[in-house]
Amino acid sequence: MTTNSDKAVAKEMVDIMHRPDGDPKLRPIHTNGIGVTGFFKASETAAEYSNSEPFQGNKIPVTIRFSNASGNKTRHDGWSDIRGMATRFHLNGPQDFDLIAMTLQEFFTPDVPSTLEFLKAARPTPYHSATPLQKIRDYLSLKVPKRNRYPHEDLSPDDGGKKYANKHKFAQLPIFQTASIGAPVSYARAAYHAVHTFIITAPNGKRNWVRFTWQPVAGVRPRPIGPDNKPDDDYLNQEIRDRLSDRETARFTLMMSLGEQEDEVNNCTKPWPLHRTRIVMGMLTLNHVLDAKAQESKIEKMSYNPCLLPEGIEPSDDPILHIRRTAYEISSKERHANRCPFAGGQ
Amino acid sequence: MSNEESWFGRFVDTLPTKGWFKFLSKYVVTPYWLWKDPKPKLPGGPRVSSQPSDNVQRMMNLIMPLKDPSEIGKARAVMAIAQNVDEIFGGLDNVGTVHFARFVILGDKLCMISVYDGDFSNYIRDFIVTVGSVFDAIMAEIEGGSALIPTEQNVEAFIEWVHEHDLFQAPDFPTELFTLQDQAKGIGPDGPVHDLSTLPRNLVLQFHSNPDISLGGGYRAYPGFSAAQIREKLGVGW
Repeated sequence: MTTNSDKAVAKEMVDIMHRPDGDPKLRPIHTNGIGVTGFFKASETAAEYSNSEPFQGNKIPVTIRFSNASGNKTRHDGWSDIRGMATRFHLNGPQDFDLIAMTLQEFFTPDVPSTLEFLKAARPTPYHSATPLQKIRDYLSLKVPKRNRYPHEDLSPDDGGKKYANKHKFAQLPIFQTASIGAPVSYARAAYHAVHTFIITAPNGKRNWVRFTWQPVAGVRPRPIGPDNKPDDDYLNQEIRDRLSDRETARFTLMMSLGEQEDEVNNCTKPWPLHRTRIVMGMLTLNHVLDAKAQESKIEKMSYNPCLLPEGIEPSDDPILHIRRTAYEISSKERHANRCPFAGGQ
Repeated sequence: MSNEESWFGRFVDTLPTKGWFKFLSKYVVTPYWLWKDPKPKLPGGPRVSSQPSDNVQRMMNLIMPLKDPSEIGKARAVMAIAQNVDEIFGGLDNVGTVHFARFVILGDKLCMISVYDGDFSNYIRDFIVTVGSVFDAIMAEIEGGSALIPTEQNVEAFIEWVHEHDLFQAPDFPTELFTLQDQAKGIGPDGPVHDLSTLPRNLVLQFHSNPDISLGGGYRAYPGFSAAQIREKLGVGW
């Protein structure tokens, strides 16, 4: 149940997320994206863990939007940035399934007040490279100097994010990993983590607390960047078009980690240990990139929502997951996208 | 002109690749920081956890300095193991909680690398009970090992020695290094927040106390399952 207070907080979050170099008619973050279609087919094992429609083995059509996390309306594919992968499973049941994932393994903040605080702290500010003397001081302090400014980079959330992480332990891992996340050679060559915990129910009634990750079958491959290798601004869209041309496909395995007692199920700043039991839940096959018209009319108007879950998959009590539901609704309405799925739209 | 575009900025960016700067970092900068901010040795082996999948397929990287690291000394260590292959394989079968184990000679060290289920002390204790004579033969070739022979009569001291020589396992999530270094200094989770930019330095300094480390807890192809569960599923009669 969304309260007025939730709406007010979510509205404030969406307002803060809009960057001066963004566009209010577009998404406030993950602004630049590309839509791809394909299908998902669950593994034979999946149905033993979940009675939900996506995991019964039928071929399910999907619509995916890959994106760069930045809210800058200008595309800068080669800059170090988190990438997103929002997947809509088009189901026969009354409600579709949205699985929203990103290349970072955890979120920045554990609850709503800290998220607001973080968003304010990490508001983009003019980016200045370190001076040579600051860099020498860092070398002599055995620190890695601040990265150089990218060509045409005016604003960046980096400084604010780092200051915030130096006051809050929970933000240190995501900020550290974001600083070194780099850029992938392809949207199809990155692993994407759904970050939040969900509860699935098995046919025998057993409930499991789980987290999902998409693993690219082609393997994870970052793009090398160095002082002599300036980042390209626009290559990811063309790369995925080329990859999926001539009936070629890109595939991802859906991996599901089983949570254990004492695992953090409601705190998305805490990734689970890497050796939790993993189940292969199915295979995603991407085979078509939508044309430019459909990108505008369909993908950019789509309203994904991380709480759009079919029967048999429940949200955990993670407060970030729940505030995201409202924030996505507000963002969708503000940019005049299709009605939010919770209001009967797509 | 921005900082990085000036000739001096470009020159400074290349400093870490210059031989003289590496020399300065190695012989002046690092020793200075080791003096200013020394790090205690971090304990080896997997960390204590009550969660099921943390207690199966645990990694041991036992690094044992050879008493005689010459070619002859290494050959003697090989002989100590080769002459006891039946005892080792029989012992591993009897212990029953070991997934994999192997010996490696690396430089001047003999390494025993294994993957086991359950408590570390019990794992070593079971080993001594079943293959104590093998460990006696091995320890005779290891620096400081003679004091622990016969291992069957020095069980606790031997467990302690093995723990001391089991590699520190660097955390899978890098910022946990702050937590582990704080714990080693007796600082709890409510201690001050570290400056994130000091993480690389903290890692560099840790190598002084733990010159050899295991990178993370290791990859597992089928995490969460014990050797006994796998044998049962495979139907191999144990």
